[in-house]
Amino acid sequence: MPKVRKVVLNRVEGEIQLKLVWEKGKVKDAFIIAPNFRGFEFILEGKPALDALVINPRICGICGHAHLIATTKAIENLYENAGLKIDIPQNARLIRDITLGAEIIQNHLRWFYMFVMPDFLKLEKSKKLKDFEPIKGYKWQKAVDFSSRIVKVIAIFGGQWPHTSYSVPGGVVCDPTTFDLTEAKSIVDSVVGFAQQEIFGMDIEDYLSVSSEEEYLKKSKNSDLKKFIFMCKKHQLDHAGKSYHRFLTVCDMEYAFSKGITKKKRRNFYVEKVREIDSYSYLTENGFSFDKNRYSWAKAVRYDGLPYETSPLSRRINSREKLFINLLKHYRDSYMVRMWARIDEIARLLYAMKMWIESIKPSEPFYIPPPADIKEISGKGVGLCEAARGSLIHQLTAEKGIIKKYNIITPSTWNLGPRCEKYLSPAEKAIKGADSQIKAEMILRSFDVCSVCTTH
Amino acid sequence: MKTLLWIQGLSCNGNTQSLLNAENPFFYEIFQKIKLIYHPSFSYRENLQTIIKKVKEEKIKINFLVVEGAVTSDKRFHKIGDYSVAQILEILKDRADYIIAAGNCASFGNIPATFPHNTDVKGVQYKFVQKEGFFPPDFKTRSGYPVINIPGCPMHPAWFTQTITALLEGKKVILDQFNRPKELFMYLPHDGCTRNEYFEWKVESEEFGHKEGCLFYNLGCRGPMTHAPCNKILWNRISSKTRAGMPCIGCTEFNFPLRENFFETKKNMGIPEEVPLGVSKRAYITITGVAKTLKNKRLMVKLEETD
Ligand code: SF4
Ligand code: SF4
Repeated sequence: MPKVRKVVLNRVEGEIQLKLVWEKGKVKDAFIIAPNFRGFEFILEGKPALDALVINPRICGICGHAHLIATTKAIENLYENAGLKIDIPQNARLIRDITLGAEIIQNHLRWFYMFVMPDFLKLEKSKKLKDFEPIKGYKWQKAVDFSSRIVKVIAIFGGQWPHTSYSVPGGVVCDPTTFDLTEAKSIVDSVVGFAQQEIFGMDIEDYLSVSSEEEYLKKSKNSDLKKFIFMCKKHQLDHAGKSYHRFLTVCDMEYAFSKGITKKKRRNFYVEKVREIDSYSYLTENGFSFDKNRYSWAKAVRYDGLPYETSPLSRRINSREKLFINLLKHYRDSYMVRMWARIDEIARLLYAMKMWIESIKPSEPFYIPPPADIKEISGKGVGLCEAARGSLIHQLTAEKGIIKKYNIITPSTWNLGPRCEKYLSPAEKAIKGADSQIKAEMILRSFDVCSVCTTH
Repeated sequence: MKTLLWIQGLSCNGNTQSLLNAENPFFYEIFQKIKLIYHPSFSYRENLQTIIKKVKEEKIKINFLVVEGAVTSDKRFHKIGDYSVAQILEILKDRADYIIAAGNCASFGNIPATFPHNTDVKGVQYKFVQKEGFFPPDFKTRSGYPVINIPGCPMHPAWFTQTITALLEGKKVILDQFNRPKELFMYLPHDGCTRNEYFEWKVESEEFGHKEGCLFYNLGCRGPMTHAPCNKILWNRISSKTRAGMPCIGCTEFNFPLRENFFETKKNMGIPEEVPLGVSKRAYITITGVAKTLKNKRLMVKLEETD
């Protein structure tokens, strides 16, 4: 007889429950339950479209900035679909990427050191891990320092982090000086220093040219990534936690990643092929339903009928990066590889941020007013953006500038949503086969769990 | 050592994320002075159910109970294990010396309290302007304080750490009429804003993307009507919304986010419907009239072009 056990997960963003069905010491089936719901899509109905710039970042305290960018792009797209061309100055595009990069780095640092590493403290009691102990550990503290330092870059351009609304249709609200830019650059440099010394154990540019595991292990000095890899191997997490091996990325970022979907081969992404399915969600086409078989506030999302993982790993694969293509050959989309991709992105984005900051021209504009008042605009708009956890989609319908309908599909909805009639969600699938509860939780955490985004 | 227990209702976790940015003291420095009994994001050995059980059995004492997020008793919309956040508050309310509402959701209800399909969402002691939160209006913890509100969406980490530090050191914290620490919330974002000179001389921004100009008259800035020290204690210790060029949206106030059109200033015959705190409309008109006639030339050009 299978045994069913429910656990409440902490050390995630918000709260997630995991219902595990056990058979012969292994997880036979897993249900990811997102029990909390605030109803942002309902709250937005009837509001002036620009107010979404204020409301939406508040969907998530850790990736609110990505929601701001997706909202801005959705409104800009609304203008375009109404036949009005929006000019977005190059400076504004660069600044939006810089701040988004900073938010993603912040997330990966906090996720790795504060949410993921403490799991290993539960798996083994070794003195070596003392540095990673929450609050007391030296590494934990350093992660707080540097994750808080990188978001200062957002504050330079946007006034604060978390929760600013400084990106607006037509550009950004700021007009930085040369010295704002040099300060931003210095912050990036100091985080690069931390990354080189503690995370990668080698020069960032050297790291970025590494193309295999062997090469990395050979070239790098003692580093946290190395420790992580060794611990994964020790606890058989290098091969555990495999999902569908299908990857989706909706947006490009110069120097960092490219969009696309990869099933066996890489193809273009078309937003029209995205569908939400509500058969196991409390939230349905026609309101709320608490029928017995429904178990989460999240909906299931499918691309061309199939579940896809969206994550830093997806970004690595869709940009055809050698290191990860090689890792997949050997390990496929496992716990270790998925987490490594998050850590890898810290290097890639730091490198990109430097380039972007370099390209800003302070004497050129940061904002060009949209060609018409939003109150004259009706129609539909879609905003696509890559957030820390993966692909984020905002869709809105407006009538004379008032929101009629707003739909948000977050990365966590893709990864941690419930099942549909045919398929489990990527994370549910990955957990199947885990041989202990802590490992089941760890595999779930490799998807960078954010319950507030999952249900919003 | 004094203890702190952190619980989350309907929230985005922004206040926790903000608190991690704390400097002087840093996040981990505060928790060298106070024992963190439980926080959903950082505890890795304890779980809340057993902590609550131990509190009930008086094996654990709580000095500070911190609530992040809005409160509801409707388990369909919010659950922590088998509890609603309302049930947890009910169990803990008389067992804590201080209860602190961290952020605007816990203080006044904020965005979650505008969800049309659950009218039972509120702040711990307030729902927007009304003292109709989860606890009754006259509720006080055993230290004699009502729920101490540290609003802001999110709250600034220093507002929290400084309040806690003062209470730990046995200092008296004076509260304003919305139970916010007075010495923090007696300031306005207007105080210390780098655009204040433009406000004085009535040089108003027409559009975003410029260092110059005040955001009050055309772009909806709430700096002169909002209680918050955002330009005294800078955000991320480096800037503020209005310094960067974004209008203040009044996120520390009891009525956030009930207003609409955040980037517009509501006007009546050219006069803003709300004028700076402490000024009558008539005084505002007189002063602006005078200021406009006495042009400040320095403010008429781009900053780079000034002498
Ligand atoms: S921008 Fe806002 S806070 Fe700054 S001076 Fe103008 S009204 Fe005051
Ligand atoms: S400036 Fe205004 S909107 Fe910004 S944080 Fe302060 S009170 Fe909130």
